[in-house]
Amino acid sequence: MVCIRKATVDDLLAMQACNLFCLPENYQMKYYFYHILSWPQLLYVAEDYNGKIVGYVLAKMEEESSECHGHITSLAVLRTHRKLGLATKLMTAAQNAMEQVYGAEYVSLHVRKSNRAAFNLYTETLGYKIHDVEAKYYADGEDAYDMRKQLKGKKHQHHHHHHHHHHHHHHHGGGCCSGEAKVEGKAGEPEAKAE
Amino acid sequence: MGKAEEALSVCLNAKDQLYTNDSVLIDDLTLSTLQIVFQRLDHLDMATSCYEYACGKFPNSLELMMGLFNCYVREYSFVKQQQIAIKMYKVVGEERFLLWAVCSIQLQVFCGNGGEKLLLLAEGLLKKHIASHSLHEPEALSVYISLLERQSKFGDALEILAGKLGSLIMIEVDRLRLQGRLLARAGDYSAAADILQKVLELCPDDWEYFLHYLGCLLDDGSSFFLGNGGNSIYPPKHVGCKNLDLPDEVFDTRISRASVFVEKLMAECDNASIRSPHLANLEIQKRKLIYGKGDPGKLVEELMQYFSRFGHLACFTSDVEAFLLFLDDPNKSEVLEKLKGCELTSSSQTKALGQAITIFKVENLIGNMFSLPVCELEGLAVRMADMYCKNLPVSKDLDLQENMHGEELLSMACNVLVQLFWRTRNVGYLLESIMILEFGLTIRRYTWQYKILLLHLYSYWNCLPVAYDWYKSLDVKNILLETVSHHILPQMLASPLWSDLNDLLRDYLKFMDDHFRESADLTFLAYRHRNYSKVIEFVQFKERLQRSSQYLVAKIEAPILQLKQNANSIQEEECILESLKNGNHFVELSNEIGNKLLTFNEDLQLRPWWTPTFDKNYLLGPFEGVSYYPRENLIKQTEENVLKNIEKRSLLPRMIYLSIHCASSSLKEHTEANGSAFDPKLSLELKVLLERYARILGFPFQDAIELVLGVSSGQKPSEALSSDLIGWINFVVFLNAWNLNSREIGFSNNDKPRPSTWHLVNSLLKKYIIEKMRSTGPLLSSPGGDLPMLVQLVTEPLSWHSLIIQSSVRSSLPSGKKKKKGGVTEQANSHHSHEIQDSIQSLCDAIKEVTEWLSAQINKLDDVKFETIFSLLQVNGEGQGPGRILHMFENLISSVDNTALGDRISQALQSWDAVEVARKVGAGQSSVLSQFLRICESKIKSLQALRTHL
Repeated sequence: MVCIRKATVDDLLAMQACNLFCLPENYQMKYYFYHILSWPQLLYVAEDYNGKIVGYVLAKMEEESSECHGHITSLAVLRTHRKLGLATKLMTAAQNAMEQVYGAEYVSLHVRKSNRAAFNLYTETLGYKIHDVEAKYYADGEDAYDMRKQLKGKKHQHHHHHHHHHHHHHHHGGGCCSGEAKVEGKAGEPEAKAE
Repeated sequence: MGKAEEALSVCLNAKDQLYTNDSVLIDDLTLSTLQIVFQRLDHLDMATSCYEYACGKFPNSLELMMGLFNCYVREYSFVKQQQIAIKMYKVVGEERFLLWAVCSIQLQVFCGNGGEKLLLLAEGLLKKHIASHSLHEPEALSVYISLLERQSKFGDALEILAGKLGSLIMIEVDRLRLQGRLLARAGDYSAAADILQKVLELCPDDWEYFLHYLGCLLDDGSSFFLGNGGNSIYPPKHVGCKNLDLPDEVFDTRISRASVFVEKLMAECDNASIRSPHLANLEIQKRKLIYGKGDPGKLVEELMQYFSRFGHLACFTSDVEAFLLFLDDPNKSEVLEKLKGCELTSSSQTKALGQAITIFKVENLIGNMFSLPVCELEGLAVRMADMYCKNLPVSKDLDLQENMHGEELLSMACNVLVQLFWRTRNVGYLLESIMILEFGLTIRRYTWQYKILLLHLYSYWNCLPVAYDWYKSLDVKNILLETVSHHILPQMLASPLWSDLNDLLRDYLKFMDDHFRESADLTFLAYRHRNYSKVIEFVQFKERLQRSSQYLVAKIEAPILQLKQNANSIQEEECILESLKNGNHFVELSNEIGNKLLTFNEDLQLRPWWTPTFDKNYLLGPFEGVSYYPRENLIKQTEENVLKNIEKRSLLPRMIYLSIHCASSSLKEHTEANGSAFDPKLSLELKVLLERYARILGFPFQDAIELVLGVSSGQKPSEALSSDLIGWINFVVFLNAWNLNSREIGFSNNDKPRPSTWHLVNSLLKKYIIEKMRSTGPLLSSPGGDLPMLVQLVTEPLSWHSLIIQSSVRSSLPSGKKKKKGGVTEQANSHHSHEIQDSIQSLCDAIKEVTEWLSAQINKLDDVKFETIFSLLQVNGEGQGPGRILHMFENLISSVDNTALGDRISQALQSWDAVEVARKVGAGQSSVLSQFLRICESKIKSLQALRTHL
C-alpha cells in the first residue's frame, strides 16, 4: 500500500509538512536541499494511496570524520500511518543505500532522551546502541543519545577497477568522506519549534 | 560611503587591476573571494566577467574553468555552462565534465528555450564517450537512459540496461522498476508484467507498482504516463482504465493471473503490517466491475475483510475511500450497516477505539450526514466526545509529544457541530465547537488539526487576532510558508490588522526571495556530487516557486498594504508610488498574467470541510448540503479567480498614480500642482486601464458605467455589484478621477441631467458602507457577516478617493508663483470646490456613522458578561441543543481520577477554563473593532484637516 521510494526535489513540500506535524524540530529548507543535492540516494519518502507523502527519512554521509559513515538526520511518519512499520522500512532503505552505494561502515543518529517511542524503535527493532550522550543537543536544552549501528560495510564494490584511464580518483555518487566544502549556512542542528 | 558601496568600490578596483596589471596574481582564491562579494552585492555579472577574463588569460586552467562554470550556474546561463563544460572535458577528458555539459543541454531543453533536437546532440556526445571510455557513474547511466527515454528510444534504453552498464545500478529492485517502466512504455506489456511481478516479489507493499503491474496485465501502460502534475502539491495518481475492449477470455485469464499472484504474495508475506496485497484484492474486484464482469457483493466482502484486518488503523478510511465511493448507494449503505453490526471484540482497547473511529469516519464519508435529522446529528457529536472522554485513560502513559489515542474524535465532533450551526444558525453550536477544540488543546497543546480548525472558526467569528495566535503557534516557516499560509493570509488581507499582515507578507516574501537568491549556489552542490538528475529537478523546482500564484499575490498585496497604510498623506503616498516606479511594473505583470503558467502550491487538503478553498466558505451562505466531490472543479474555479484577481489588483498602484495626476490637473487647466504641464497621455492611459478593469469585472466600459449609474440612481438593485463590490467601487473612484480631467461623463446627456461623477462616488460609497455596517450586526450573535467587506470599503476605495480629494485640494491652493485667474475658470473652480467640499462631507458622514457603530459595538463587547456568552449554550427541555458536550467535560473534571488518567492529563483537565475561552472570543472581536476604529478616526481627522484648506 505504501510505496517507499527515493525522494525528489518536489517532494520537499510534503516532507516539510510531515515535519511540521510530527516533530518538534524544524529544519531550514537549505538543509533539506543540502541533503538531496548531495546524497539523493539516502532520502526516501513513504507515499500512500493518492500520492500522499506520509513519512520520510533524511540522511547523509558524514564528511568530516575519517571513518566513512552515514547519519540519519530526520525521520518522520504521519500519525495516521503509524504502526505499519513504515519507519522501519524507511530506515532500512536509507541504511541499505549507505552501505551499498557509499560503503558506509556504520550509521549514527541522535534521539531525544525523552522520546521513548523512537528510542525503542532504534534499539529494539533496528539494532542501534547508545554510543554517547550529547548534553543539551537540542535548542530547548534537552540531551540527545548519540546512537550507532554497525553496517556490514566494505561492500563498496562497484567499479573501482574501471577507472584506470582517469586522472582522478572518483568517489562514487559524489563521495562519502570526500571532504568537500559544506554548504554555507547549513543548519546542522535542528532548531526547536516555538512551543 | 556605506559598507556595501565601499566593498563594491574595493572589488571594482581589484577588477581593474586584474584587467590592466599583468603582475597581479590571478588565482582561484582571489577570484572566488571577489565572486562572493560581488554576489552579495547583487553583481553576479561582474564576477562572471572576472572569471571570463582569467580563463582567457590562462586557457587551460581547470580550476579557473570550474570557477567560470560555477558563475554560469549562478546566472542560469545554460548555453555558456555547456560550452565551458565541453572545454573542460576536452582538456582533461573526465566523464563528469561531459555530464556537466549534457546536463546543461538538458536544462536548455527543459527549462530554457532549447529545442528537443538538442537532446540528440547530448546523446551523441555520450555515445561517443561510452564507445571509447564506457561509463562509471550510476548517475551518468541514469542521465543517458533518461535522455533515450525522453526521445522515446525505449528499445535502445533497454539494451543499455541489459548490457554491462546495467550493473551500475546498485539496487536490484531499482533496476527492475526501470526495466519494467521502459518495457511498458515500449508497449511490450507482457514482458513488463513479468518484470513488475519480480518487483512486487521483492517489495510486496509497493502499491504504485502493483497498479502498474495490473495495468500492464490488461495491456494498459497509461499509469506510467501520469507523471507529475507539476502545478499541485499532490500530483494526480488516479489510475483510470484505458483498455476496455479486451476480449472476455483474455481479460479473465489476465485478471485471474493477478488474483493468483496476489494470493501467493499474501501467503508469503508474514508481515502483518503489509497492506498492499490485501488492497490489491479490492482493486481486482473494482477492475472486474469496470469491465462489466464484477459483482459488487464481492467488493463489499473484500472491504469487510480489509476492515477486519486493518480497520483499527487511522489510514483505513483513506485506503478504501476510492473503493467505497465506487459503490452505488445501496451497496454503500450495506457496508455501513455491516460495519456498525461488527462486534468490536478486539483484544486491545486501542484497537477497538481505532475501529470505532473508523466507523465514524466511514459514516462521514458515505453516510450522507447532511441528510441526518438535527437531533441525530447532535447525538453523533455527543457520542464522539463521550468516546474521547472514556478513552482518555488509554493515553495515560504517553509522552506529551505523542499523539493521544482518539484525538480525531474531537475534530470529528467539531465538524458535526459546525454543520449543526450551519443548519440551525444556532451560535451555541459554533461556540461549542470552539470549546471542544480548546479543551482538547488544554490536554495536549500540540494537536495541529485542532489548531487549524480553530483558526478557521475564530476567523469566521471575526476573532482574527485569536485566529492569528493559533496560526503562529503552528510555527509555520520555510517552505511551509508557501503551502500552509493560505489558512490565514486571505482573511488578513481583508482585515484591519495591518501590522500582523505586514509581518506575514514580509516573512513570506523574504523567504521566497532569499531562496531565489541562494538557490543557484546549491545547484553547484549537485554538480559537484554528480547528481545530475537533481540539478534538473532543482532548477525546475526553483521555477515552480517563481511561478507561484501566492508569491505573485504577496508581491502585489505588500505594496497595496503600504498604500493603504499611508493613504491619509498624499506626500507619503507619492513617495511610495515613486518607489514602485509609479506602478508601471505591476501593469506589466498584469499584462503578462494570461501567458504565465502559474503554480498553486497550497496544500488545500488540510482545510476544514466548510471552507475547502480560500475563496469559498459554505457557512457564509444558507444551508444547502455539501457534496464533497468533485472537489477538483472547485479548485479549478478558485485558481481562475486567483488569476483574475492578480490581473485586477496589479493595476491598482498605476491607477492610483494616474488618478492623483488627473485630479490635480482638473482644476487648473492642465497644469499640475507643482506647476508642470499635465501630460494628456496620463488621462488616456487611465481610460485604457479603466476599460481593462471593467473587462476584468466582466463588462464593456460603457456598460460598466451604465451599471454603476443605474445602481447609484436606484434603477438597478444594489446586489448588481455584489459579485466584486470592492472591485466595482474602486472602478467608480478611478472613473471619477479620470472624468475630472476628461469630462466625458455627466453633462453630455440631453434627456435628463446626470449627476456628476463626484456624486456617483459619494452616493455609492455611502450607500454600501451603511449597508454593510447594518448587515454586519452585533459580532457575537452574528458570525460571518460583512465586517471584512466594510473594512475593505473604508481602507480601499474610500482611501483612494480621499487621495483624489487631497490631490484636488492641493492643486486648488495658491501656488504663489502664479496669479489667480479670473472669469470662467474661476467660476468652474468654485463649482469644483463645492463638489470637493460635498465629497469630504459625505465621506465624513459615512465614516462617522461607522465610528459610532464601532464604539457602540466595542462597549457592548466590553460589557458582555460571560453568562451572556454561556447563555448561547442552552440545552432545551428535551435535553437537546448546544452545551451537552461542554457539560460532559465538566462532569469529567469534577470526578477526575488521578490514578486512571495519570498526573499530566489530570492536571491539564484541572486547568481547563471555559470562561477564559469565552473571554477570548469577546476580547478578540473587540480588538478587531478597535483597530478598525482607529483607522476610521484617523481618516476623519485627515479629511477634516483638508476642509480647512479649502
